[in-house]
Amino acid sequence: MHVSLAGITKRYGAILANDDVDLDLVPGEVVALLGENGAGKSTLMKILFGFQQADAGEIRIDGRPVVIDSPRAAAALGIGMVFQQFSLVPALTVRENLALGHRCTPWWIGRGARSFAAPVAHLRDIAPEIEPDLPVSRLAVGEMQLVELAKVLNLDAGVVILDEPTSVLTPAESERLWEQVRRIAAGGAAVVLITHKLEDVFACAQRVAVMRRGRMVATLDTSSVTPDALVRLIVGAETVTTAQPVERTADALPRAWIKNLSATTAAGAIAGVDLRIAAGEILGIAGVSGNGQQTLADAVAGLAILLAGEVIVDGETLQAPRAEMPAQSAVAYLPEQPLRNAVAPDLSVAVNLMLKRIRDLPWRSHPSQFDADARERITAFDIRPTDPRATAASLSGGNLQKLVAARELAGAPALIVACYPTMGLDLGAAAAVYEALFAHARRGAAVLWISEDLDDLLRYAHRIAVLHRGRIAGIADTAQATRRQLGAWMVGHSIDVAAEPAHA
Amino acid sequence: MDSLDIVFTGFLISALRSATPLLLTLLGECLGQRTGVINLGAEGQMLVGAMAGYGATAAFGNPWVGLLAGAGAGVALSAVHALLVVGAQANQFASGLAVWMLGFGLSAYFGAALVGQQVTAFDSIDVGAAAQWPVIGSVIAGMTPTVLLALLLVPVIGLWFYRTRTGLRWRAVGESPAAARAAGVSPATVQIQAVLVGGLLSGLGGAALSVDYTRTWAEGMSAGRGLVAVGLVIVARWNPWWTLPAALLFGGAEALSLRLQTADTPISAQLLHILPYLVSLVVLTLTCLRRSDSGTPAGLKAVMDR
Repeated sequence: MHVSLAGITKRYGAILANDDVDLDLVPGEVVALLGENGAGKSTLMKILFGFQQADAGEIRIDGRPVVIDSPRAAAALGIGMVFQQFSLVPALTVRENLALGHRCTPWWIGRGARSFAAPVAHLRDIAPEIEPDLPVSRLAVGEMQLVELAKVLNLDAGVVILDEPTSVLTPAESERLWEQVRRIAAGGAAVVLITHKLEDVFACAQRVAVMRRGRMVATLDTSSVTPDALVRLIVGAETVTTAQPVERTADALPRAWIKNLSATTAAGAIAGVDLRIAAGEILGIAGVSGNGQQTLADAVAGLAILLAGEVIVDGETLQAPRAEMPAQSAVAYLPEQPLRNAVAPDLSVAVNLMLKRIRDLPWRSHPSQFDADARERITAFDIRPTDPRATAASLSGGNLQKLVAARELAGAPALIVACYPTMGLDLGAAAAVYEALFAHARRGAAVLWISEDLDDLLRYAHRIAVLHRGRIAGIADTAQATRRQLGAWMVGHSIDVAAEPAHA
Repeated sequence: MDSLDIVFTGFLISALRSATPLLLTLLGECLGQRTGVINLGAEGQMLVGAMAGYGATAAFGNPWVGLLAGAGAGVALSAVHALLVVGAQANQFASGLAVWMLGFGLSAYFGAALVGQQVTAFDSIDVGAAAQWPVIGSVIAGMTPTVLLALLLVPVIGLWFYRTRTGLRWRAVGESPAAARAAGVSPATVQIQAVLVGGLLSGLGGAALSVDYTRTWAEGMSAGRGLVAVGLVIVARWNPWWTLPAALLFGGAEALSLRLQTADTPISAQLLHILPYLVSLVVLTLTCLRRSDSGTPAGLKAVMDR
């Protein structure tokens, strides 16, 4: 099945998400669709999958123009998509999830596995070890991805679209996925791999299409291109501003001590986490999402009830079980999902910027008092729109992230807890947030930085600890850390650095 | 048959008969909540069901026609909730309260003429040889058609819900509308169907109350059973199979309070009347204390968060 997209144009308000984009998908070939966040790659694929309609342009299958007005229509044409947010029902079993969208599922399912034989056939091929009767909520993220893939294969899809499939996977899980992707293409399907990771491209794509600011800037054979050339294509003529790493101060005293911390929240549990962060040190926390990162961050910031342990900053116990929350916290916290966790969405940007100082406000205060102060920080962090009276909910994800950074990184916190602080930001904005974060490290603040981006962690953190199932699986100086070792820790193997062969 | 046996079977029969209207409503509410729609209007749907059922029985002289009319009235009123909540994305609690009040008002207005009227009762069921079975024989013989209907509906709905493709789709919608949509199921269609089925069952429950259980019509006669059903769904852990014990809890407590009243206990009748509600409240509280894995559909949690 040969699918060609021609002249696709899509506008959201003032933003041109797709501008006259052409793309050809050929059977048996993997195309990597590469670009920064907001370059328009997801929009293009959502149009192909029928989630959105193009304003102009057409989609042809084997030369015949088609109308795809819903995901259902796309599925009927043999187009399947694996989403970043999984479209699996966590409370149902793997079997039930696969049967849900399968056309061979009989009306009476009964108890027997016979009704489910057809839906689980593909899953048995690609992941025989996944137990079909387990609820999906008990699977690891990588396993969910494979179930999701089996669901798409069940459609007998001629085109398979994968939206940033490796962003939540460990290195080993990624390799396994690449192998499956190559297999699907070898079986005659056209595969589109939306990604911003170069390693995905070279691991399994024959062709790479690069998008920037809504336009298709190049379509190349993977064999004829170098990683450097691809990066230049992705970021364009703009100079790539990267943040300056912070020099490590020699044998500084520990400024923050996360002492034997145990806590349980709805997001997960941590047990016996013990970390010491020196003044001016950036300690990175790596790990597959959902291994206790959010609980650790909440516990250190004082938002979770501790079961055991203490958080000691500058010799003072800030958090302990059954302790009063200190009125003025020396901890700055940039939580994940800022819209949910860090702002009052219906209040204005100015008020949201004030929230940290809410106890110091006079009893009667007028919004205009905040505006001048807010404007200053809006300019400093380049928050758009620049109107301090706009509600926080009206901001885009990246701008929300900047808003939270502007609020939390004001003043002189002793300890900064940052969860994925640059998620959803383009390279320039990410560099600005890093600069603000690192300025505090240079000043002498201790930084606990949770991230899934190993590249950034290896570039900027001084030490990297890996969380696995709520415990520290390992900790290494960045200078000595290898991706292989971090990857092994992420899945819970503790391999000894010394025992590791020089090259494996 | 000794006297203890008579007391026991008598108690079980009256508990079953008292539980029946609630059980029907509870089944309907359970299905609705499993697809992610809470319907506080169940109370109003019971009332219009009771009123329409009683009126139709009085007019046609046939209690079966009454049950049909009650179910139809319940469906009609629940359509308002379906329209507001699924069609117009209105707040589920506000819409439910409106439907409840609407049902209360409509049933009071149209039911005023029915007060004091007499209706034909169901013929007793001929259970044949089953009446001779030890212990349960007399229970079976004491059952009315609505009790039997409600008892039969529990396994029918339970099996349908957990063992068929449509049941699977309904469960998927309640857990994750987005995932269901991606699988080609329309969440709106399923939710509308579930609310209407809920209306049918609560209307039927109301009719069972007026036509079979009390054989009278009085304004506001459902006396909070619809709201108790909304709460007992939690006790039943959103599982249709568990609606039977949950409803029997209420029915048993009501049967007990009636026994205590006739036994001249020195407790005021008004206080004894609250016993079934008190028992429901205590069990509900105990259920909620066990926080882990309550069985709440994820889609319903989203409604609470909104």
